[in-house]
Amino acid sequence: MTPFRSAPAGYVARWDDVEREVLARVARDVAELLRAEAGLEPGIEVGDGVAFTGVARVPQDPAVQRLLPDAHEDDADVATEFRHLTQTDLAAGKVARLVAFADAVDSPEELPDDPRVGAEIVVPREGAQEFAGALTDLRLVLAERLGLVDDDDVESLHDEVFAGVEDDDEGWADADDADDADDADRAAGESADDEVAGWERVGLSGAERRYWGGVFVAAGFAQESLVEEMLADLRAGRPTA
Amino acid sequence: MDGRTRTRAAAVATQVQRETEADATTAVADPWITIAWNDPVNLMSYVSYVFESYFGYPAAQAQKLMMQVHQDGRAVVSSGPRERMEVDVQAMHGFGLWATLRRSGSSDGEAEGGAA
Repeated sequence: MTPFRSAPAGYVARWDDVEREVLARVARDVAELLRAEAGLEPGIEVGDGVAFTGVARVPQDPAVQRLLPDAHEDDADVATEFRHLTQTDLAAGKVARLVAFADAVDSPEELPDDPRVGAEIVVPREGAQEFAGALTDLRLVLAERLGLVDDDDVESLHDEVFAGVEDDDEGWADADDADDADDADRAAGESADDEVAGWERVGLSGAERRYWGGVFVAAGFAQESLVEEMLADLRAGRPTA
Repeated sequence: MDGRTRTRAAAVATQVQRETEADATTAVADPWITIAWNDPVNLMSYVSYVFESYFGYPAAQAQKLMMQVHQDGRAVVSSGPRERMEVDVQAMHGFGLWATLRRSGSSDGEAEGGAA
């Protein structure tokens, strides 16, 4: 994966096949999750309290709660009314841009002759905000699954992922490859630290954490480089969105 | 809410009034605020981008607000009539930032100040 760079056609990066496949799949999974949790699925029955009355249900999944959060910290009436008025639109907008993201990443305009250089991902300037927003939602859901609750969690995940990249050139290509290392990991983790790490609390194995951690870090790298270029254009007064 | 936050809220309120003369009277009479909350996931550059592109704040002001969110756990990012704050909160949620609205100066704000 190369950083996004400003180009005449938009913001351009190169992602290899596994990066495109995994990020597109995660985006589609998050879109599905949002659809289900926000009651957007088309087959919903009248009378189950969603489609007919228009009363938005509060998402049960904590990751979706983060994407569709309460609008007031302690006044439930304000939060409920806000959710009622906005949640369907908000969720539908997020679903649409996640699917657009997955489509763009799945089907780049042309594939390189040499697969090792990676396909060009071209984000048109008018679509950059949506693309960056999809990356945000995707990262928020991964962070919830990884049990990342504070800056230290994110930092140690980064360290771990980059240490893994140095050790093993395969990176996050295949979660199954790393399964064998699980038992050793768990034993090492238990003896090294009495405190239960976030990723253990959420029930991930060491291999799963490294895999999804790698996806989280890659999505962050893509977003960081994209947003830096968007900010540069915005501050220079060049049209962005 | 600490003194710095209060000053910031006032500064933001002033800016909002300048931007839309028509709303100025309402903003004073019935001020609500939008609070953006810190999270470990959103990138500093992205938060700056949101504050600059959506609110139209100059880079330095957006940067200051972003750092306040990062260090204090939250910052008041806009103020005005409730309806406008609802629009701002919804926009923040659209960007993937967690934001809440509340009536400016409500007493329960005191207890939570500087919690993060």
